Amino acid sequence: MTLPLFGTAALCQGFDSAHARSVVRLQSSGLGAARNESDFVIVRTPEEMRRVVAQGNNSIFIINDSPNDILSTEAFSGRAIGLSSQFAYLAEGDVIGIHNPSRKFRTLFRRNSRHNSFLVTERCNNYCLMCSQPPKDIDDHWILDEIRRSLPLLDKATPTLTFTGGEPLSDWTDFISVLAECRDQLPRTAVQVLTNGRAFSRSEIVDAWRELNHPSLIAAIPVYSAVDHVHDYVVQAKGAFDETILGILKLKDRGQRVEVRIVLHAQTAPALLQTCRWLARNLPFVDHVALMGLENTGFAIANEDLLWIDPVDYRDDLAAGVDTLSAAGVNVSVYNLQRCVLHRSVWPHAVQSISDWKNGYVKDCNSCTEKPRCSGFFTSGRPRQSRGIAAIL
Amino acid sequence: MRLTLPMLRMHQAVTDQRGALIEVTVDFDSSIQSLNALEAAAYRIIGIATCEIEKGVDRFICHLTARKTSSRGEPLDADALKVKFLYLVTDENLRLRIADKTEGVRNVILALAFGSLAASQKDPP
Amino acid sequence: MARFQGADAFGAPSDELSLLPFNFERTGTEQFLVSNMVGDFLRLTEDEIDRLIDLRLNPGDGLYEKAYASHLITGRNQMAQRQVLAMRLRSRMSFLRQVTPLHIFVVTLRCEHSCPYCQVSRQSTDRSRFDMSEQIAERALNIAFDSQAARIKIEFQGGEPLLNFELIKTIVSAAKLKSGATGKAVDFVIASNLALLDDTVLAFCKSHGVLLSTSLDGPADLHNKNRPRPGNNSHELAVSGIRRAKEALGPDRVGALMTTTEASLDRVDEIIDEYLRLGLDGIFLRPLSPFGFAIKTKQFQRYDAQNWLAFYERGLRRVLEINRQGTPFREFYAALILTRMLTDKPIGYVDLRSPAGVGIGALVYNYDGSVFASDEGRMLAEMGDNAFRLGHVNDNDYRSLVLSDRLIDSISNSLTQCAPECSTCVFESHCGADPVYHHATQGDDLGIKPLSEFCARQKGIMHLLLDILAKSPDDAAILRRWAAA
Repeated sequence: MTLPLFGTAALCQGFDSAHARSVVRLQSSGLGAARNESDFVIVRTPEEMRRVVAQGNNSIFIINDSPNDILSTEAFSGRAIGLSSQFAYLAEGDVIGIHNPSRKFRTLFRRNSRHNSFLVTERCNNYCLMCSQPPKDIDDHWILDEIRRSLPLLDKATPTLTFTGGEPLSDWTDFISVLAECRDQLPRTAVQVLTNGRAFSRSEIVDAWRELNHPSLIAAIPVYSAVDHVHDYVVQAKGAFDETILGILKLKDRGQRVEVRIVLHAQTAPALLQTCRWLARNLPFVDHVALMGLENTGFAIANEDLLWIDPVDYRDDLAAGVDTLSAAGVNVSVYNLQRCVLHRSVWPHAVQSISDWKNGYVKDCNSCTEKPRCSGFFTSGRPRQSRGIAAIL
Repeated sequence: MRLTLPMLRMHQAVTDQRGALIEVTVDFDSSIQSLNALEAAAYRIIGIATCEIEKGVDRFICHLTARKTSSRGEPLDADALKVKFLYLVTDENLRLRIADKTEGVRNVILALAFGSLAASQKDPP
Repeated sequence: MARFQGADAFGAPSDELSLLPFNFERTGTEQFLVSNMVGDFLRLTEDEIDRLIDLRLNPGDGLYEKAYASHLITGRNQMAQRQVLAMRLRSRMSFLRQVTPLHIFVVTLRCEHSCPYCQVSRQSTDRSRFDMSEQIAERALNIAFDSQAARIKIEFQGGEPLLNFELIKTIVSAAKLKSGATGKAVDFVIASNLALLDDTVLAFCKSHGVLLSTSLDGPADLHNKNRPRPGNNSHELAVSGIRRAKEALGPDRVGALMTTTEASLDRVDEIIDEYLRLGLDGIFLRPLSPFGFAIKTKQFQRYDAQNWLAFYERGLRRVLEINRQGTPFREFYAALILTRMLTDKPIGYVDLRSPAGVGIGALVYNYDGSVFASDEGRMLAEMGDNAFRLGHVNDNDYRSLVLSDRLIDSISNSLTQCAPECSTCVFESHCGADPVYHHATQGDDLGIKPLSEFCARQKGIMHLLLDILAKSPDDAAILRRWAAA
């Protein structure tokens, strides 16, 4: 089951025309009057509607298949947004971004999720063969504004937050100022930025990043090969490998945290052991290495012929690569791969990594003893199963 | 013109008393064979044989003199000595080619590693 | 509409490639062992090396990928690999930041053994002539604390240092006071034959965290032959000393070193088994130094590099077999070399590095106040050769010792990075200079390496380790664990 994280609201009214976009935090109806300008009280039934209006609320968020009926229960002249019950998962503390004229909205933050991420932009200077968020060359600056407006509304106890894209550092000055906001608004939140790392080949950008002095910040950067043309081919950008490695060196030189990611597919798996050995010899000081099963979505579907490889066909090299990295003292994890396709030696490194909103299991899993610890499958895109999927008994 | 390598005084307690001498001569076209490479090869073979390099007309002539047996008592023959020396010369010629092509970038890397650019980087906290 | 380019759009033509520095050694008629600027190894055929040097490589031909991943080629306009190599070189050389971490105090020359290879002659029981005085010890300690290292190790040697145990106690107390005042951490080791070990000594070592290092040359007959003593019970005393010390201080606080003499060469299995029997966690297989009595008694010429290498290989394989049978047990010299070959971690071993570890790695304060650049340098002086005497504690401070012309010349003349043959040696990144050895055997600090037993031994060990790493997966896994530790 894939949670719907965006859609078009059935109704959106009462907003003044000065702002086309609004950022809205949901509040439970039991708590009396709304806390601030952005808080909207959740209304699911006519009784709740009456109570909420009686309390003097003038910003309401209706979740019901007939939001207009709910709205007409009481005389109401404030701001109202109405969504169908498809979005019934929304709850107190969640944050929505909505475009008032078109009523298009996105769920930006879910308080009870372990996998909150902000898409920063759809622009990117790479064009990876397997990109799950295909780049668009458009002006989407408004997204950073929306994030800025969201940050103060997020639960201060949020443990982690991810910034992704496209390439988040496409407008690096704006993005770094957003990270500064995030540091100030959410000092206890660990932040992970998924980036191709090429911007960090420029010292001024690394220095600005370092000056953030963020208490818990990590750049997660893909490296697909030990060889320039292979990496460049996977990311479809000449010169990318050189910039990315240089960026990693500069980040580590200034004491910043770096995770290296390798997405495992037919272009990266054949030389996986060489790549792991290369990382263990040349970059053993990175904070973490994540070896990741492929999500068959976005460009990965278009390039399926180039990319598909059954994980059982690379599991030996994967185990050897994990072993090489561990022996070099590197923290290494395996993401997105089911325990039944992994060698047991890799299990201690296998993490339940798939974002909750796109995570599922198959029938075989019902009788599997490892299910509670297994990362399961992607429900997004066009899932493709290994021939090795089988319950472990 | 005779070129001889300086003979160093050895303070080793070991003294060389074994075997008769075998002599081999190998010559090279001096227009294509570097003298530096020959001297380096002569240096490398010192454990087995001494080498005197003589300059002839368009030639370098290498006179190799070796004990008939190695220090382990294994017999050496002239052909094996000649082949070994030729391999050493080939290797030294390769080394010259490598040095020629990489001296510049080697200095760049050393400067990056230990020069003032390196000094200006702060150590990670 | 998404447009993707084929793989061939991302390769550089060969005229955009640059060669990176590398060394090689011919290992067969058309086989080469190659190492890059930071000592990563790979093997190439003669044809591959020719193509490499001429940059006749293309993305996808297999050689390009091998060469690129091993930093033998780079793009002419690329920067990352140059920076990676520079950064790794800095890591490998970072031992230079900890200047003179080792300080050896020769607290007495007196000894009750009469080992034939020992550079220290038997001396009498006349304490005044052959014991270090408190005044000299104090000055030496001041010099030691002037060294730059954040952590220093003080090693007590002799003769038999326990014959001057009172001074050891004095020095340890004074050093701890200074450590507290300056923030410089100090470790202590006593290198003793343990014949004089008693509860007083053990109690002191325990309460002050002092490590014990002793000699154990093998089973009783071998050990006693090397180490004659009145009563001929050196082995018995060493063994009981090791046992008592392990029990009192803990098993990781006691170490043993062996000295290889001609008599040892055929008995490496027994020697290792003796170490195992005593519950020691490893063995350090090292050859005899060529100094002092070794030369006088002609011990040194009794075995050459080939004999020693056969001994070493046999020993290493026995150690690996022990590991395969389930007992963790290390050969410490191999572990050091493997750390150099498989990682960029700097190691604290001062006897295999370039710039050489003389003076800047270790200083030796002799009982009479003379200061030497290394322990072997002190032994040379006992034979009348003062080439490595840097000064005296009454006349010199740390700076003048370490910046002396003699030391600087010795270190710079012996640099492997510049020496003929060394600078182009495939093993250079993992080797070191030994100016004292080459001075003693050849009369100059650099030495002619083709004539050097030191060089032959080093190459032999490294070839052996590479061979095991390539050909024996189970043994290779054991070796890699030693490097990772």
